[in-house]
Formats: sequence, C-alpha cells, structure tokens
Amino acid sequence: MNKFKRRQFLHYSTALAAGSIIGSIPSIAFGSNFPNRKIQAYIPTRAGGGADRNFRAFSGVWSKHLGIKFEPKFYPGASGRVGYETYMDKASDDCHDLIFGNMGPEVLNWVVKKPTFDLNAYKYFIQVDADPGSIFISTKSKMKTVEDVIAEGKKRTLTVATSRLAHPASLGILVLAQKTGMKINLIPLSGGKNTRNGVLTGETDLGVLPSTTVMKRKGLNVIGLFDEKNVLKNKMPNAILVNTEYKLGLPPLPAGARAFGIKTSAIEKHPDRFKKLISSAKKVFSDEAYKKAVVKSKAPLEFISEGYEKECKAYVENITKVGQEYRSLLSG
Amino acid sequence: MENDLGIFFSLISNTLEYWWVIVPATILGIVVGAIPGFSAANTIIILLPLTLSIGPEAGMIFMVAIYTSSRLGAGIPAVLVNIPGTAGAAATPLDGYPMSKRGEGQKALSISFTSSVLGGLLTTILALILIPWLSQVAYYLHSVEMIVVMLFGISLIATISSQDTLKGLIAGLFGLMIGYIGADVVYEIPRGTFGFLELYDKVPLVPALVGLFAISEAFVVIDRKMVANQSVKDSKMMHSWKQTFNGIKITLIRWKHVIWTSIIGLIIGVIPGAGAAIASFVAYQQSKNFSKTPELYGTGHPEGLIAPESSNNGVTSGTLIPLLIIGVPGGATAAIMAVVLEYHGVQFGPDIFETNPMLGYGPFVAMGITYIILGFLIMPLTRYFSNVLLIPTKYIAPLIIVFTLVGSFVPRAYVFDIYVAIIFGIIGYIARKTGYHVAAILIGVILGPMLENFFLRALRISQGDLTTLFSSSLGNTLWILLIISLFVPGLKKYFSRQK
Repeated sequence: MNKFKRRQFLHYSTALAAGSIIGSIPSIAFGSNFPNRKIQAYIPTRAGGGADRNFRAFSGVWSKHLGIKFEPKFYPGASGRVGYETYMDKASDDCHDLIFGNMGPEVLNWVVKKPTFDLNAYKYFIQVDADPGSIFISTKSKMKTVEDVIAEGKKRTLTVATSRLAHPASLGILVLAQKTGMKINLIPLSGGKNTRNGVLTGETDLGVLPSTTVMKRKGLNVIGLFDEKNVLKNKMPNAILVNTEYKLGLPPLPAGARAFGIKTSAIEKHPDRFKKLISSAKKVFSDEAYKKAVVKSKAPLEFISEGYEKECKAYVENITKVGQEYRSLLSG
Repeated sequence: MENDLGIFFSLISNTLEYWWVIVPATILGIVVGAIPGFSAANTIIILLPLTLSIGPEAGMIFMVAIYTSSRLGAGIPAVLVNIPGTAGAAATPLDGYPMSKRGEGQKALSISFTSSVLGGLLTTILALILIPWLSQVAYYLHSVEMIVVMLFGISLIATISSQDTLKGLIAGLFGLMIGYIGADVVYEIPRGTFGFLELYDKVPLVPALVGLFAISEAFVVIDRKMVANQSVKDSKMMHSWKQTFNGIKITLIRWKHVIWTSIIGLIIGVIPGAGAAIASFVAYQQSKNFSKTPELYGTGHPEGLIAPESSNNGVTSGTLIPLLIIGVPGGATAAIMAVVLEYHGVQFGPDIFETNPMLGYGPFVAMGITYIILGFLIMPLTRYFSNVLLIPTKYIAPLIIVFTLVGSFVPRAYVFDIYVAIIFGIIGYIARKTGYHVAAILIGVILGPMLENFFLRALRISQGDLTTLFSSSLGNTLWILLIISLFVPGLKKYFSRQK
C-alpha cells in the first residue's frame, strides 16, 4: 500500500513538474502571462509626499486594467539619487520593476552631477501630471506682485527658498533674475514642507515650488507661474505667467512632471510586455475611476497630463538643454 | 466665561465618547513606544488606512493617543535595560538605568511615568491657554537662533564628560563626525559614505541608537547573572507598592523641576524641526547646571530622570500648535497627522478654533485625557514591568539583540541597517569597556546633522558672513544664556569654595 502510494506520488509529481515546464514555455516565448507577479515601483522620495500621492492614484486604477497589484518601495535620499541608483542596481529587467519619479528635478540632478549608471539605460514612458513651477510669498510680505519682487531684488539680494538647487522651479527663478537684473540667493531647504515653512516663518523673502503644494496653503500667496497658461485661475488668482510676461524664452517645463520609467533592457527583452504596460496605462487616463482617485488625493484634475515615450523624451531633452545652459547657477 | 466653560466641558464629554478609540490606542502606543524602531510615526503610517476610514475627529484622537502614550512607553526600556525606545528618550537612561541596576527599577519607572504624566498634562493645559502666543514662536526662531538651541543640546557632551573631560569630548567629536556622514544639505555631495548608497541620507538614527545602547548593553550584561546588581531574592523583596508610591512621592516633591523642564519641552516642541531628542538633552543639561547636587547626576539621581521625561512629554503638545495654527508641523508625527487631516479637508489656521473647536482644541483635550488614563493604567504595571530585571541575562541579552535588530530594520526596511546596528553595537561595547560615554557619541550623531543643517542654511542666507550668527536680538540673548549655562557649574563651585 505504502509502495503504491509512493509510486503514485512519483507519477503525479513527475507529471506536474513536466507540465509546469511545458506550461512555462509559451509564457517565456510570448509573455502571455505577464504580469505574473506584483509590479514593484521604486519611488525615490519619502512615503506620504507628492510622488506617493500621484503613484497611489494612478496605480490603484492601473492595477485594475493590468490585472495585478502594484507595490511601492521608497528609497529617498540625495535628491532622488538613492532611488535611481538602487533601481538601476537591483531592479529586474522583466518589466515587473518600474521607477516612479519626478522627471524635472531628477533629470536636472544628472545634469549637475552624473550618476554612476548610463543615462540611456532607463527611459520614462508614462507621464501622469504636469504641475507648473510657482513663485510664492507670505501674505505678510510687503511685496505683493512679481513686479514688487523684481523691484526689491534690484535694491538688495532676495533670499529664495527652494526644495533643492537642481529643480525646475529654481531654474525658472534663476532665469528670471538673469533676464531682469534682480539679485537672488537660492536657499535649498530639502523638500516642499521645509520650503513652505521657510517662507511662512519669514526666514526667506519668497519661495519657488510646484504650484500644487502651495496654492491652497493659508498664509501663502502664489504670484507667478513658470508656464504658458494659468489653468487654475480660481485657485491662483494673483499668479501672472512669468515666462511670457518677462519673455524668458523657456520651453514649458513643469516643476512637477511625474512619470513611470523602465530599464531600456527590459523593453528590448520584452517588447510585448512593454506594449501591454502602455496599452493598459492608456485605459487609466480614460477611466472615470482615475479622475475620482485624483480628486480624492486633493490634486487638481487640471494637472493630469497624459504622456508617453515621445512626450517624456521631449521633456527630458528640454530640461537637459536648459539645465546645461544654467548648470553653473544650479550647482551654486 | 460661562460660555467658554460650557464649550470646554462639552469638548471633554465629546472626547470621552471616543473612549473606544483612546483606550486601545493608548495600550498600542505604550507597546510601540517601548520597542526600539517602532515609533508613533511609523505606527500611524502603518495604520493609515484605518485612521483615514474612521473620520477626522476619531482619527485625530487615535493619532494623539498613540503619539502621547508612545512617548511615555519609550522610557520603559530606557530605564530598565538602558535602551531608549526612541531618540526622544535617549537622555532617560543616564539616571534611570543606574537606579534599575541598584534594584530600584520599579521606583525609577514610577518616577519616569509620574514626571511624564505630570509634564505632559501640565504642558497640554499650558498649550491650550497659550496657543495664540506659542504659535508665534516659529516666526522668531530661524536658523541663527536654532544653532544656539542645538548648541544647548550639544553642550550636554561637556556635562556628561565631567568625570573624564578628554574621553567625553573625544566621544562627542566622534559622534559629530559620524553625524556628518551622508550627502550635504546644500549641494548634496556625499561625504564619508564609503560608496554605500544607504548612507547618502545620513547614518540611520534608529540602528545607531539601537547599536550604541541596546546591543552594546546586551554584550555588557551578559557578563552578569542579572541586569540589577542585587541578588534575585533581594530584588523580589524590593518589589512592592511602596516603591511605586515612593517614586510618585519623589516626583511630587520636585514639582518645580517637573514644571520648568516640561516647559522647555513645550517651547522646543513648537519649533519645527527640533523635537523630543533636543528637548530632553537641553532639559537634562539645564537641570544639572542648576541643581544643588550636580555631582549625583549620572548615578541614578531622580532629577536626572525627571528632566528628560517631563521635557520629552512637553514636546507632544507643543508640536501640534504650529500645525493647527499655521499648518507647519512641529515634528514628524505632527506632519503625518497633517496628511490625515488634509485628507479629510481640514483647513488649518487660527479660525480652526472657532469653526471646528473639536479639531482645534480637541487634540489637546484628547491628549490631556490620554495622560490621565495613562496615569491610572500604567502605575499599577510598574511592579510587573520591573520584573524584567529578574530575568537572567542569558535569556534577556539574546532577546534584546533579536528584538532590537528587527527594530533597526523596520524604519527603512534595509538589511543594511541591521549591519549598521551591529557595527554601532561593537563601537558601543568598546566605548563602554574603555570608559567612553555612549550617550556623548549619540548626542553627536543626533544633533550633529541638525546643527550642520542650520549652520549651512544661516551661512547661505548671509552669503558666507559669519557675523550673521550674532545678527539677531533673540539669537544674541540665547548666546548669552548659553554662555551663562556653561559657566554656572564652575561659578557655583567657585562660590562654594569661597564660603
């Protein structure tokens, strides 16, 4: 009896093993069972920040269309460098591991100091938002408009709080200062919360950040946007369009441009999987559930920006070009 | 006035209706506070889905109860086994642990809990009364002033090293050097990271804390049969309600001490980016400076235990004030509370106290009620907690190592952090065996990066002009107070010799 059971067991287990090997062949060849495990998203900032908020809103709906859950992994530090280096070092290239970051500050970071990995070894392929950089002041400030700021900046050096030196918003104010002759001193305060506090407590004269993080804050007044239009006039009624008003000659460079990225080797090895990622992501943008998720996350619907490889590539090229032009200013 | 009292009592009654939130959150807070690595902030993040689903009022009460009780819980391992549950309790073992080693663990816990509850309760009431004025503190304390506040904390290195100045200063400077590892705050250029990405964001604090205090302590106690120096029989005999009441009495006699050290915590709590660690170091340092018996500090002196515990509980109410009034959180836990409240659409600002008193004053009322519940809940437990001292070290030392290594992994989920904890454990063990103070190293590790941050910011704002350090009236007043506090012990000695 025992012998029979053992033989039966051996038969069944051999059949099962053979079946699983045969069964796995089509999936390797055609990627038909992709994704077969959770999609891991490496996020190069802290949990609870803007990237986390955008990621949860998008991936929550994307998981429905892709048929699998997303798992965020946070690697903050050194302006995103820790997250990217970890992704390039540890992530697999089977299309299950993605990076989700803010293209602007992170690409500018590479302009200032090259990372250890090859910059062509990854690419952004799904952009989810476009949040313009803003100039903001405390409501207690004597300066009320960008014009006041420029006039004051011609008399004395103004201190400008920013999240980090290599940031699209920093770039915007540096170009404005250069064009108008005002004197500014950028003070990097490590993150949006500290930057807002710097202005609120009066330690700095003004600040620059993506507009979402400041537009609804009590005690702060958004007076300028580095963009070509103000799509949230009701929330930022005092904001003028600095790029056009002062003829800065800057291409549209949203300070917040969050996007998913992937290793280029993953695209080369699994083009079918990559296509599936894009086709399922496209469904997210047209899904009402995504809009609801964005509203729930308190981000403005107007800043949703549907973009793919082409749009992401254009953004990266633009910001790299402008960043290289002003590299000496960004690196202090 | 009658109307105000009416609102106040209705707030108390409303808050008490949430007893089903307060009681479990309080128990959970004590547990997570007592385990190194499991801070209130981590716990609130883990339980975020629950917090978001129970509505803003219940959510706020839940977070406040966890925050308050975890602060108190962090003192338990600090007193009993020389392991601070969080950085805010890093000054607690300086006098708490020597008492435990003498077999007075129950009394030490009782002092720690009484001073925590009284300090927390007092500052909660003060915060409620002084909200309009305290909320303005953040406007006056900029980088220059914060440099001096940090130096108040760092001067504790000199105090700790009073028995062997050279060794103390070497330990402190070593800690400061370790604290500067990581990317600099302005240009983000990595320094001293040895190529490890995991060190770009500074030396992780929890593994450093765990290594220096817990693991090194486990190595040291393994030489003995028990943590306490007394025999098991003696210690058992000493465990009685008498010790608990004795601890309460000792604290109540020193009520003035509780008041002024908890006020230090309240004021430091209001400053964004400061927090409980700096508050407890500053309070301990000032407590010793102005004590009639400074020579007893570090040997198991009740005042040396009251000061850090009152002050770090004073921080809890202080940290909420700038959050509610100007939307600027005083610390990490308050920042997470802000996320939850913003999710529910709560608008911060002075009018929150009129438009939504339950969310404006409610957190302080909840905090006060939590402290009262804590007082009744935890005092009877001192007797049982202190039984930890009776567990033979051959069992407790491996348990400490396992628990704390898990704790060091939790905040960032890096295996690397476990190695950091072990390395700091070895450093701590060598330091203890050769007479260097691990607390002096830790002060450098905690406060070094904060000091550097404010110093570089002040220099950047002034465009490299060092005279900026003496450019504000408030800053200059603080400098004078710092110098006075440094010379007080010497002057006191001089005058006592003259007599």
